[in-house]
Amino acid sequence: MIRGAYVVLAGLFILTPLMVVCVVAFTSASFVSFPTPGFSLRWIIKVLADPAFMRPLANSVLLGLAAAVSAAFLAVPAALALARGGFRGAAEIEAFLLSPLSLPALILSIALLFYFSRLGMGAGFIGLLVGHTVIVLPYMLRTVLAVARGADPALEEAAFVLGADPWRSFLHVTLPILRPGIVAGALFAFLVSFDEVAVALLMSTVSTMTLPVAILNHVANNYDPAIAAISLIKIVLVVAVLVALELGFGLDRLMLSRRRP
Amino acid sequence: MRRSTVALLLAPAILFLLFGFLAPIAVGLGESLRAGLGLYGKIFGDSYYLEVIASTLALSAVVTLISLAIGYPYALILARARGWRKAALLLLLVAPLLVNVVVRSFGWMVVFGRSGLINAVLAAVGLPAIDMLNSWTAIVIALVHVLMPFMVLSIAATLEALDPALEEAAATLGARPLRTFVHVVVPLSLHGAVTGSILVFALCMGSFVTVMMMGGNSTMVLPLLIYQQLTVAGDQAFAAALGMVLLATVVAVFWLQGRLVRSMRS
Repeated sequence: MIRGAYVVLAGLFILTPLMVVCVVAFTSASFVSFPTPGFSLRWIIKVLADPAFMRPLANSVLLGLAAAVSAAFLAVPAALALARGGFRGAAEIEAFLLSPLSLPALILSIALLFYFSRLGMGAGFIGLLVGHTVIVLPYMLRTVLAVARGADPALEEAAFVLGADPWRSFLHVTLPILRPGIVAGALFAFLVSFDEVAVALLMSTVSTMTLPVAILNHVANNYDPAIAAISLIKIVLVVAVLVALELGFGLDRLMLSRRRP
Repeated sequence: MRRSTVALLLAPAILFLLFGFLAPIAVGLGESLRAGLGLYGKIFGDSYYLEVIASTLALSAVVTLISLAIGYPYALILARARGWRKAALLLLLVAPLLVNVVVRSFGWMVVFGRSGLINAVLAAVGLPAIDMLNSWTAIVIALVHVLMPFMVLSIAATLEALDPALEEAAATLGARPLRTFVHVVVPLSLHGAVTGSILVFALCMGSFVTVMMMGGNSTMVLPLLIYQQLTVAGDQAFAAALGMVLLATVVAVFWLQGRLVRSMRS
């Protein structure tokens, strides 16, 4: 009884701000109010045709993909070494590679701002990509490391004994084993980058502005239902990516390694 | 695996973090020290900046305690649930994580705003409207909403690992459910509660978008002050010095966690 009431209250607390956004996205009014006086698609249509939102959306998708791919190229070899190496200092190196997780992104953001202006580059896509790759690298490393630690090293040894060179055994044996970790890590990495505000706020320029920054700028200047509409579109996109992955590949099949019989 | 192979595999990630993470922070530290320790003297010698640091710590402490109070029962129910109930509770908990902080803050603005949900409810029962936006309460509620899932997941992880046989043993030996809970379940899940609290506290210390959107300019916290120094005042060196103070605070919090967890294990 008490438990049921608690879950209902907690659910209301968690879902209310999200639900309110989804409802206001369909308002017919020209101002933000809840409940809404009526429903229409005017704000959704307006936002979909507005380059002030659509360009940042494209930038965010591109940046998220680029950060996920960069993180994979850095994290997969590192995870292999950490899982198999058994060398002195492995724990310290792992802690170092995971350390960006515990740093407030704002500090990284200011630091990158000074750093890139010292290098004479200023804000821009490279700065954004470096910042986001630093932030998502630990997520990628952790998921790949978890899979690599659970994998059976005998499989690679078998490939080696059968005469495969290291590169071929990596490509045909190790990589398929690590795939669930890489896919899960890339998904996390994309979602984290897609949502990141602090680095994006200081490092993006007008032409490389990401979606969260565009939304934040819009709220600061005009408080209107366009925010709700673009937010709803963003939520739908994230859910669509997850559903597409689930239908296409099966998320649990991608993320959980096949169990050995 | 040979030494040289290990080095070759680790090199890209280590070099990337050296040049993309440590070097920028070193440059930031250098920027803040350009005029010696003067900027730090300005921060610690001025009551305004000390008040901002104190209010940042106070806000983080309150948000952490409320997240713990609301999150602990959720973690307990989540850890005990089975089958579809567990999946549903987990989905409910992590669904907001897929929604941007900016969007969630906007949602709370609609809830608290003049023509928002709360005032609609108040009007329906005949009560006068209140303006909750730009208040400390609004900031705390929105921050708890953002950070509570991290608390719940940390606690649930330790509760999951708890052997149900321990509780059964306590019950068999005649302990009432409440006694079992206080003397068996709570001490064994303390580890998760400490980890979750430190995580929420540290994340809260660094949040500024939620504070900026919910609080207007009513509440000043360290990260927001840093952001304003950069964008409004344009004082880069001072922003760097404030950033280093924030960094030192967060590092101290994590150091404290390490000590607490180690002393709990022994």
